[in-house]
Amino acid sequence: MRTLLVSLVLLLGACAAEVSPYFSVVREPVPGGTRLRLEPAPGVRINAQQKPALERPDSTVLRFDSPALTADSAYFTEPPELVVPGSTRGRLVASICPAGEFVCKAEILTLR
Amino acid sequence: MPSRPAPAWKNTSWLNTDGGRPLALADLRGRVVLLNFWTFTCWNCTGALPSLVAYDSLYRAAGLTVVGIHTPEFPPFGGEHDRQNVAAALAKHGIRYPNTQDNDRATWDLYGIRYWPSYVLIDRKGQIRWEGYGEFHVGDRWHAQWEGRIQALLAEAA
Repeated sequence: MRTLLVSLVLLLGACAAEVSPYFSVVREPVPGGTRLRLEPAPGVRINAQQKPALERPDSTVLRFDSPALTADSAYFTEPPELVVPGSTRGRLVASICPAGEFVCKAEILTLR
Repeated sequence: MPSRPAPAWKNTSWLNTDGGRPLALADLRGRVVLLNFWTFTCWNCTGALPSLVAYDSLYRAAGLTVVGIHTPEFPPFGGEHDRQNVAAALAKHGIRYPNTQDNDRATWDLYGIRYWPSYVLIDRKGQIRWEGYGEFHVGDRWHAQWEGRIQALLAEAA
């Protein structure tokens, strides 16, 4: 039981998620920073023509990316990722397109 | 759908107009106007462009004016605010109808738009008669539905 609790605490410490209705942001510590991964909710596509971006307080902009795209290069087929050196605070902007609706909208999430 | 007056936009950066001259809604009184809110980085937007190009080609002489309202989805670092990029997208997609840059989303907000792509169809008297959104294609039922609406408004007296 104790081992299970320790494992759970370690797991929570290692990976944390921030959620919008359209995707979750999964954090994972890696050498040199934090890997952020955008995992879309079921039926949601993330626009690869306009790669999701993290606007940091110092005005730098970091882009998420993944080599796995749909055949028309329009959407990611694997969650796009980004390794952030230092703090991950900032404004995350992603263009998301619900599959059945044939529309896109900009989703903005504040990361702490 | 109940009609309401179309609000006048105030955009200043125009493409595909005579010398880049701003096109006012008042200039279009007596014509049927189809507004298309789009951005070139949105696949669903560019997917619908062939339909809009077809409407422009088929119905311009009969009194239709298609107007593209290019509204960036991302902050300026995304490249959507750049006039040259918009011009390149117009050339790429064979768009000859007027387009304006709505970089501050003023017209987007004025019309209460929420999605890319969106459409607003205005009659000859300046009344909004139809609104909608989403990608459609030449030959599908939504293309036919919008075309039917255009034809109906063109048949009305000014």
